[in-house]
Amino acid sequence: MEKHEAAFNALIEQDLKIEPHDWMPDEYRKHLVRQVSQHAHSEVIGMQPEGNWLLRAPSLRSKQVLLAKIQDEGGHGLYLYSVAETLNVSREELITQLHEGKARYSSVFNYPTLNWADIGAIGWLVDGAAIVNQVSLQKTSYGPYSRAMVRICMEESFHQRQGFEIMIHMARGTKEQREMAQDAVNRFWFPALMMFGPHDTDSAHTGNAMKWKIKRESNDYLRQKFIDKTVPQVEFLGLTVPDPNCRLNETTGSYEHSPLDWNEFHDVINGYGPCNTDRLDHHRNVQQENRWVREAAAAYAQKTETVNSSL
Amino acid sequence: MVISIDTNFARLLVRLADTELILAQRLCEMCSRGPFLEEDIALSNLALDLLGRAEELYKLLAETEGKELAADDYVYRRNEREFFCYKLVEQPNTDFAWVIARQYLHDVYAKSVFTRLLQSDNSKLAGLSEKVLKEIRYSLERSKDWMLRLGIGTEESNHRLQFAIDRLFRFVPELFAFDTVDLQYIADTEGLIEEWKMEVSDTLRTANIQEPELKSTHLRDSREGFHTEYLGHLLSEMQFLPRAYPDATW
Ligand SMILES: [Fe+2]
Ligand SMILES: [Fe+2]
Ligand SMILES: [Fe+2]
Repeated sequence: MEKHEAAFNALIEQDLKIEPHDWMPDEYRKHLVRQVSQHAHSEVIGMQPEGNWLLRAPSLRSKQVLLAKIQDEGGHGLYLYSVAETLNVSREELITQLHEGKARYSSVFNYPTLNWADIGAIGWLVDGAAIVNQVSLQKTSYGPYSRAMVRICMEESFHQRQGFEIMIHMARGTKEQREMAQDAVNRFWFPALMMFGPHDTDSAHTGNAMKWKIKRESNDYLRQKFIDKTVPQVEFLGLTVPDPNCRLNETTGSYEHSPLDWNEFHDVINGYGPCNTDRLDHHRNVQQENRWVREAAAAYAQKTETVNSSL
Repeated sequence: MVISIDTNFARLLVRLADTELILAQRLCEMCSRGPFLEEDIALSNLALDLLGRAEELYKLLAETEGKELAADDYVYRRNEREFFCYKLVEQPNTDFAWVIARQYLHDVYAKSVFTRLLQSDNSKLAGLSEKVLKEIRYSLERSKDWMLRLGIGTEESNHRLQFAIDRLFRFVPELFAFDTVDLQYIADTEGLIEEWKMEVSDTLRTANIQEPELKSTHLRDSREGFHTEYLGHLLSEMQFLPRAYPDATW
């Protein structure tokens, strides 16, 4: 046991990857399962707010771009569920936890998409925030998760560019389009900042995660990085950040911002956001309504297998 | 705005394009509603193929008609009675059996039609047909596979598929009600009908599904822009933004 632990610590120490067959502390595995599961569910639940505008996409091209993006997110979900499987947790178990409210997903998807510019804002701000986080996770200590992040980040940066493209169109469009663009930024700015999680001083899981190099950079560091990258983009669009205290600090070179509304954050996390119930009901209902399909596929597989093996 | 379709070749194109577009929109409704994640992704793939195909066909249509209209104008600025998709593809996603049955019946038909269009005098349409046929063969393989899974799988899935087929077969005779436009561009329609019936009968038999009698209803033909009540709702949702903000570009 101690020998195992020493080997594990040595791998972490040398910045090498932990692989599925390696020994790992229980707490390490638990932390990873929680994080990967939350990430996988976020990809899948995130299909809903974007899907909300798929049928109303205003051009053939934008419909194809959006559908391809949503499909990518589903693919990321699949990929991450299989990362979790390398930690001996099945997709079914994780989905049951989701339906029972025991597993989480990014709280940003509990906000509704209310106009077409929201689709731009999600790609640009939400995928943008996800990228900052995930680029840092490419260096995470668990091999399969790290490799998943490398692959996923490439697609996320496409999503971000396409989202920004929608924003450019809207911000430079008619008066109504500009209003939609500003409205989208107003509603998604703070939820995007909260995607990085609580302040470092309040973050329950950060300690060990940093020690084990699951997490490589702190919530506040990553949040600030995102803000510094994004505020100039808001300005480029001719839009405003919905925060009167957002200004460049000449000394630090970073943007300052108002305190975040952590009451809202905790409410949304704990099920009281605008769409929590709808997102979970949707996922649960689709599962239930289609149980007969999965049963049919399983029964057919069994029947044809019997036929084939009796030949 | 009324967008007229002025030549026979354009009429052929608009029927093909509208059919693929409306089926794609129905499949888009399935996004995040698939029976499991892999199938959700597969249905999106299918929808993307159909959207791409529709777009190419509308571009060719726009070029043929030469009215300085873009593909999107044809998609977003025509009314219900100016659409020419077959009624089969506008039918709703009542359950997954409907999605599969509708797709299968469409795929068998589309395969025969685009196979004949390989011989088109218009080299762009012939080239497009070749590309499209690869996608359709793949889609048909999948939809046929699901027909068997649902037909043979469980009693419930068999009943659901039987119900979907019973309801959707009402719209099959329309596929074969070829008019002079079709006859001008689609060779050997008699053979096409035979092919379709053989393929479909064979699959239904293997899937333990009773084949309904092909009996026309008195719904008038989609070639004249007559539809079921479903299409108007589909269009009002699909066309909402360009209609609400006619001056905007997206
Ligand atoms: Fe993603
Ligand atoms: Fe992600
Ligand atoms: Fe993404």
